[in-house]
Amino acid sequence: MRIERFRRACVALVSLSLVSLGLQAPAMAGVIGTSEAIAATRGGETRDTIDAALARDDVRAKLAELGVDAAAIEGRLAALSETELQMLADQIEQAPAGGDALAVIGIVFLVLMILEFTGVIDIFKKT
Amino acid sequence: MTRGAPAVAALAAALAGCAASPPLANGLAGHAPRSIELSATPFYPQEDYHCGPAALATILRANGANVTPETLAPEVFIPGRRGSLQVELLGAARRHGRLPYVLATTADELVAELADGRPVLVLQNLGAARLPVWHYAVLIGYDAERNVALLRSGREQRLEMRWQHFAATWHRGGRFAFTALRPGEIPAHADVTRYVEAAAGLEAAGQRRAAAAAYDAAIARWPDEAHAWLGRGNMAYADGDLVAAADAYLRVILLSPTDAAARGNLAQVLADARCLAESRRQIERAVALAAGSPLAATIEDMRQKIGALPEPEAACALGNRYWPD
Repeated sequence: MRIERFRRACVALVSLSLVSLGLQAPAMAGVIGTSEAIAATRGGETRDTIDAALARDDVRAKLAELGVDAAAIEGRLAALSETELQMLADQIEQAPAGGDALAVIGIVFLVLMILEFTGVIDIFKKT
Repeated sequence: MTRGAPAVAALAAALAGCAASPPLANGLAGHAPRSIELSATPFYPQEDYHCGPAALATILRANGANVTPETLAPEVFIPGRRGSLQVELLGAARRHGRLPYVLATTADELVAELADGRPVLVLQNLGAARLPVWHYAVLIGYDAERNVALLRSGREQRLEMRWQHFAATWHRGGRFAFTALRPGEIPAHADVTRYVEAAAGLEAAGQRRAAAAAYDAAIARWPDEAHAWLGRGNMAYADGDLVAAADAYLRVILLSPTDAAARGNLAQVLADARCLAESRRQIERAVALAAGSPLAATIEDMRQKIGALPEPEAACALGNRYWPD
């Protein structure tokens, strides 16, 4: 059947790409990395296994989506540990992104003005 | 700053969830200097949203790295988030051969790092807890008499912030702070776990020379720290030095007999050294130790690869040695 054939081709393609990604992984071949070992000994983690290759793909796609230059992405991924990659894969949209105190608009601005005025926060005067 | 009606202030305080911090002088340890200002710290006025690259360039430059906010921006800035993320700042520090040492969440270590002459990169939430305005700045000192924190921040070369105010913004930023260390440099007050984890970050980033120097320094300082020995073993293995790698993994196992990673890595070294019988014995031990741990799948994978190796023709290169049970 044609659909079945198509499905098989897809599976083959995906498997092939996963295999080739495995070969590209920058982690040291053969032995377990120290950061991986440290993460494993730390109890109470909700996630039991980190799929580094999956997290890496995920972060790669998200960084591209968020406008990071494609040429810069691999170098950035390579600088992170597996735990950090996993964290980014989970929270890249929510994690604190330090930016600019001056880029505040609309209703946010209004509320911040009130807080500023009452002395709770301090962004407009001193940054 | 004008005070509003008390009711509004109370409401606003509740909204902001602000933490009451004591004045600096109250919390300062007896031996700490009353005031510090690292005035030689470079200053890079930030461009729009680029406080991450600017703050990172400030601490890396202060530590001798040849970077600018412009060269760092492609390594840390995320246009869609209009900012930079904490872990990417750590990653970029590694790329420039520095060890990003994440500080404790108490002010003591901020003060200790400043006293050692290292400016500290901090994450602040200048807004409210529910309405965050994230900002990176560099703490370059403080003055306990005047109760102020001194910062390189945004477009301000020398920002004085009331200490309680700084402490509250840092608290709302999750108390994230780090300094850039030269590999091999360990602050007197350093915490072994955080230091070795930082060294492991260098290893993960492929900065082998820097990671090896950091592990060596950690072993000199904390000879019984198993993960520092594991790191030394991994760096030796990466250099192709099977004898040194085996010795280091052996040390991990003596210090921490249930460490599955060291068993697995030792088995791998033994396999590479054509000591197949011993390798298979060790990998079985590793599989048993890793049962139920996050390493189980990786070690099972190693076991299968070792199991599939053909019988070696040459003799074991690590003969006449003691291997742990």
